[in-house]
Formats: sequence, structure tokens, C-alpha cells
Amino acid sequence: MSDRVDRRIAGNGFTMAVIVMVVILAGIAGVFFWRQGNGPGAGTVTGPGMAVPLQRPDEPLTVTQYLPENGILAPGTGSVKRQPEIQAQAREVLAGLFTGQQAAPPILKDALVRGFFLDPEGTAYVDLAAVSEGGMRASAMEELLAVYAVVNTLMENFEEIKQVRFLLDGREAQALAGHIDLSRSFARRLDLVRQ
Amino acid sequence: MIFIFFLVLPSSLSAAAEKGLSVKGVRYFSYAAFTRVVFEIDAAAPYVLTKTSDSQALVLTAYDGPLTIKSSLPEIRDSVVKGIEARGDAASQQILIRLHPGAGDAKDFVLRAPDRIVLDITRSSAVPGPALPLAGKQFVIVLDPGHGGKDPGIVTGQGQEKSIALEMAQSIKKLLQKSRDLKVVLTRDRDIALTLDERAVSANQAGAVVFVSIHSAEGTGSRVFMQDPDDTLASQEQNPVSRDFLGFETGSEQQERLWGRQQAAHGRESGDLGRTLSRQLNRNDSAEPVQAPMALLTSVDAAAVLIEAGMEENRTRTAEAVAKGIELYVRSGR
Repeated sequence: MSDRVDRRIAGNGFTMAVIVMVVILAGIAGVFFWRQGNGPGAGTVTGPGMAVPLQRPDEPLTVTQYLPENGILAPGTGSVKRQPEIQAQAREVLAGLFTGQQAAPPILKDALVRGFFLDPEGTAYVDLAAVSEGGMRASAMEELLAVYAVVNTLMENFEEIKQVRFLLDGREAQALAGHIDLSRSFARRLDLVRQ
Repeated sequence: MIFIFFLVLPSSLSAAAEKGLSVKGVRYFSYAAFTRVVFEIDAAAPYVLTKTSDSQALVLTAYDGPLTIKSSLPEIRDSVVKGIEARGDAASQQILIRLHPGAGDAKDFVLRAPDRIVLDITRSSAVPGPALPLAGKQFVIVLDPGHGGKDPGIVTGQGQEKSIALEMAQSIKKLLQKSRDLKVVLTRDRDIALTLDERAVSANQAGAVVFVSIHSAEGTGSRVFMQDPDDTLASQEQNPVSRDFLGFETGSEQQERLWGRQQAAHGRESGDLGRTLSRQLNRNDSAEPVQAPMALLTSVDAAAVLIEAGMEENRTRTAEAVAKGIELYVRSGR
């Protein structure tokens, strides 16, 4: 009885070892082929003309961001979740600006993105809302930099976007925090960017 | 012949060179502050609008080629326009717009699809011009403490922006009132909420020569903002909502079309004021104002800026710098 049991245990151990070896070899081969075909950075697209990549949906997308820093916009890069189409991708980029990333604070306190829409003519509509009932609180300079952080970031990363308009709670608004005129379309402005 | 406008639209230039300007209809609208005359044209083309030497009429002619009038001209009789008539022969026709003595400035612009030349003639008594007062009269300085009422502006350990702005405006007023030829008006002298339009109306009705909106921001340092000179008219052209209704829709919409264009006439003055204030506040002879699309300034019919003073700055010194900057600007004879 005991002999039979011992043999069975020995047989199972051998099978298990073979399976583990096969799994390890398959894993190594998989990593090898993955690195050859899609090495690090191969799917990372930044800068003008970014087409939303469809391959490797799990890998974050690196985008150019313009963030307010000491009274000016500082260009940099950030990672956002990759999305299958441009409107969802732009929403993701905007969410990154308004929630803040790593050490960077949100570009405008008390504000969130309600929606984003890109019309066929290339006008992007960014719909914002105040987090609290009291509305958004920002100085004129903070408001100006927040507006152009959005405009510059969107137009830098999505060549389909020709101009940007802002909405507040789904409607046209005079200003976000009482200073900057939102009744107009905005185009990229580079004199506010640190050179 | 005194002025003015000569407009070239490149897209239609070649066609215009052959055809001149063809007017197929004229409409007019009388408002409390101005009279609008709309010339419906076959295609946008260069034209010249001049004022006669006695300033009693405006003359519209084609720049290149004949002016053709395809319909009868309407009978216009209001307190700005005496009448409108065609003159000259078929080869060199002109449209004469006879003005009452109370007529003020004329502004013209072109709208497309359908193509129109729009002429707005203000009633001089209803719309005070931006000109400086005559000798012996007072310069009107309007100070606008930002925010107020339910809108506190930014709130920091140094206090609420609305209170700091009001306190600073009152300090500047005290300093400026030492000069007899300066009349200082505040848009608010207590903690009340005002819309941006109410602030602009207040300045325009007071006949402001200088308008300074006072705000504050966290930290040190002060900034001066002026309306981006290219912005006001550009934004109007970009706005598809306002583009098509002009001359064809309701009076209130047309009034809105004029509203928001006032600052366009004061770009140079606002730049001078902004530069002077910026240099006083920052004690830096090369400081320049920040050009931005400012929601409030666009409707102010005067040299206009918005200042944002650091909350940690010495407020007495800031008030003195602003008062001195305003005086320097006014005394420079602009």
C-alpha cells in the first residue's frame, strides 16, 4: 500500500516539473517575441499628429502637457490611459489636466470636465463644471493659464483639433472664474509657454 | 473729405475689379444709441466710405469699378440720418447718407453669406465718445473693485479678494481726488454683486476716460491685463451665431452685436495705460501688460485694464502706484 502511494507521488512530481518548465519556456519566448515586435516605446506616440493607437490598449499613452508653473505654462509629458477613439482619448487627456498628475496639481481648482465633443470642422468643445456650488475660484492669471493649458495641450496632441471652445455646465458662458472671455474660440498661444 | 474706410476682401477682389460694387437693397434700423444702415450687395468688393468736408453726409462709393444700385433706396428719417440718396451718373454713382448735426461716429464692417456692408452711425449725445474732456472739465476715472456679494473671489489667509479690492479702490480714490480735474467713480462702494456687463455699463454711462478693474491674487507681484487688441473683432468674426443675423433679425440681437466691440477702439490707449501702470506697480521700466481676452474689458468704451495685485504686497504702496500710474497716463495728454 505504502509503495504504491510513494510511486504515485513521485510520478506527479515529475509531471509537475515538466509543466512548470514548459510554462517558463513559453513565458520567456513570449517576452522575447513581444520585445522584438513591440519593444518599449514602439507604441508611444507623442507630439503633433498623434493618431490614437489601437494596438496594446493596456499600455499608457504618453502625451505632451502644458501645465501652469510660476505664472507661465511649462511643457512636459504625462501618461494617460489609452482609449480606442479620439474623443475618449481627449477626455482622458483633459481628465489628467484637471485632476492633476504625480507632483502636478490640477490646472484649475474646483473644476471638473463634464464632457468633450469634437465637431467635424475641428472645433473641440470642452464642457466644464464647478465642483462646488460656490463656483470656480481663480485669479485672472490662473484662469488664463488654465484656459491655454487646455487649448495648447489639446491642439498639440490632436491634429484634428483646429480650435477650442469652452462651455460651463453644458452652456456658453461669459467666463469661468469671472475674468477670461469664453464667448470666443481659442487657438494655441505660445507666448504663454516657457521657452 | 475726411475719412475713412477702405476694405479689401481678397477672395472677391478679381471679380470686384471687373464688376465694381452692386447694391441690391438697403435696410435701416433706428435704435436709441445708433442708426444701422445695411447695404445688401451682390458680392463683397472694395469700397470707400468718406465724410464730406462739412461733416453733414457720408458717401459710399465703389473703390474699383462702378457702383450699381439695383433697387430703390428707402426713406430714412430719424434723429441721426436725414436721408439717403443716389447721386452721380451711371458710370460714377455714389450713395449719399445725409446726417443730422447730432450724428456721431460711424463704424462700418462687412458680413458674408449673404454679403452686406453694415454701417453704424452713433447718436453723439447718447453715446459719449472716448475723447478726453475739454479744458476746465474733469477726467472721469472709473475704479471697479472686482467680485463682491456672493462672489468673494479668491480667499486666502490674507482675506477675501472682494474686500481687498474694495479697500484698495477706496484708497486709490482718495489719492486721486486730491486732483481737482479728476472725478473718480467706483462701480461699487459696498459689498454687492455686479455682473461684468453692469460694471461696463457703469463705466460707459459715467463717460470714463480711464477704467481700472481691481483684483488680487495669492502671493507677491502684480500684473496688469489689457484686452488683446486683435481679439475683440476676431472673436466677433469667429462667432457664427452673430454672423448671420445682422440686419435681418431682432433689435435686441443687433444691440448685442454692437455690445462687446467698444474696447476695439481703445487698443492703443489701453496699451499705454497698461504699460504705465505695469511699470509703476513693478518698479520696472520695461514691464508690459499681459494681453488676454478679458470678459469685462471688451465692453468698456475707454482706456481699460484689469490689475491683479499680490495679496502679500504692501497695499498702501500698491494703491499709491496705481494712483500715480493713472495720473501719469492722464497727464501725458492721451
